[in-house]
Amino acid sequence: MDLSGRFGARSGNGVPFREVTGLESLHLGGGDEFRQMVLPENGGGFTALLELPPTRAVELLHSSSSSSSQATLHSVGTLTFPSNPILMERAARFSVIATEQNPNGNISGETTTSSVPSNEHIKTEPAETETSDQAAVEKQNNRCGKRKDFDKKVNSSTKKKSKSSEENEKLPYVHVRARRGQATDSHSLAERARREKINARMKLLQELVPGCDKIQGTALVLDEIINHVQSLQRQVEMLSMRLASVNPRIDFNLDTILASENGSLMDGSFNGTTMQLAWPHQVMETEQSYHHRQLQQPPPQQWPFDGLNQPVWGREENQDHGNDHNSLMVGSASLHPNQVKMEL
Amino acid sequence: MHMQPTSSMKEEFLQKWQMGLQIYRPLIDNTSVSERRKAIKLSADVAMASLRRGTTCWSRALIQKTATEDNFLVRQMLSGIKAETLINKKLPKVMCHRKIVRRSKKILRRRKSRSAIEEVAAKARKLVKKKTQGLRNVVPGGEFMSNDVLLIQETLDYIVSLQTQVNVMRSIVDAAEAGSERTAYYLGKLKFAIEDG
Repeated sequence: MDLSGRFGARSGNGVPFREVTGLESLHLGGGDEFRQMVLPENGGGFTALLELPPTRAVELLHSSSSSSSQATLHSVGTLTFPSNPILMERAARFSVIATEQNPNGNISGETTTSSVPSNEHIKTEPAETETSDQAAVEKQNNRCGKRKDFDKKVNSSTKKKSKSSEENEKLPYVHVRARRGQATDSHSLAERARREKINARMKLLQELVPGCDKIQGTALVLDEIINHVQSLQRQVEMLSMRLASVNPRIDFNLDTILASENGSLMDGSFNGTTMQLAWPHQVMETEQSYHHRQLQQPPPQQWPFDGLNQPVWGREENQDHGNDHNSLMVGSASLHPNQVKMEL
Repeated sequence: MHMQPTSSMKEEFLQKWQMGLQIYRPLIDNTSVSERRKAIKLSADVAMASLRRGTTCWSRALIQKTATEDNFLVRQMLSGIKAETLINKKLPKVMCHRKIVRRSKKILRRRKSRSAIEEVAAKARKLVKKKTQGLRNVVPGGEFMSNDVLLIQETLDYIVSLQTQVNVMRSIVDAAEAGSERTAYYLGKLKFAIEDG
């Protein structure tokens, strides 16, 4: 997807930023263009989002509106929010070199009201009518509500901010009510919001990676995460090496055998780690269970009886030895007769 | 959203992985162990990435990476437009900007004041930044994630997918090894039987 063609510099305010057009551009009412803009951000680090230039904020705060635009906005809102990860990724890709810092210290109410997983905002163009501007502010409030499940502190403070920003019509500055004991600099407010987002996700990561809960400090947690990812990647390499060295026919034909029995594959839960520990016992178990199944359940395929008592070649999928509802693979597979002969 | 690997994910991964391995089947006889290992790993990686259907940055980056090693495999495994768009995607321009930003920040930083507390905090921040850069190096496509929130989110998803991949592959490998042991055992028995007459 070639993005270079979509970039445009808005020379209207003298401040360059990037915007996304394409499927995000919709038409409100009588031919107004509603474009989705990605909020540009400072590069790298745990730094704050960049705020919009002041003129943009002014238009956002215009209160004049028509109710119809709000109605259309809600439907538009659902249409113009594709899945968040895509938006986020675009946001990441479109980040620009930091433009000059906003000296007026306004707007941050808008920047921090974005919903948690996405760093994007939907803003309106300056050239658009005031209806869409009011609609944008409405949208901010909607997203405010969505954030209730997440950072509550930020939510309450941003709600206050957005309310106050709504009241300040036609003013060049947005008066923001900051939380107690914290700087009102929009830069730091946005930065704080981002930091909280990051901390929330770091918590999730800590839960995911074993042994991370007890560690204090971001750097060490990140270390653990990196080690975990690397160990998983190494395991994949090891496993593919093991599989490759088992038997050429097995690793490629095995899967065709499996494919013929799809649908009955994995009813139980895989538990790779426990399986590793219980593997010696598991082997015994599977041998016996295979024999059982041999007797009880005739396999769908032809037995390659070359007068050899060829063992049934089956696949043990369920390693959940602790549970009673061990759903071993239904229907064991048998080696092809040709295969057997060649191996002999 | 972030969970342990589900059985449906594992099943889908296995199916896609099989599909990828099928592509290598005609070449079985003429391959060395390392070639087979590579084929297995590549199809497993594409299978894992395709589970996400292009929604995550790491999956796209992984597919692109695999495409540089085996373009044909990727095209076969991802049928349709998706393959074309993913393979032909240009590198995002973010990377260049980050370097420039970092360099300019370095220059600016030299003028900063040096109180004791600030120094400690600055060092901590530096360390964290180093680690996040390390994380970027490990996660596929991480270099293009200048946004830290995105990076962590992608890491979460990547870890879950990796666990799925590892679980399924381990089951297959253990079954395959068990099977081959039994086959070898019976083959040995057979040889004795034949030799003894």
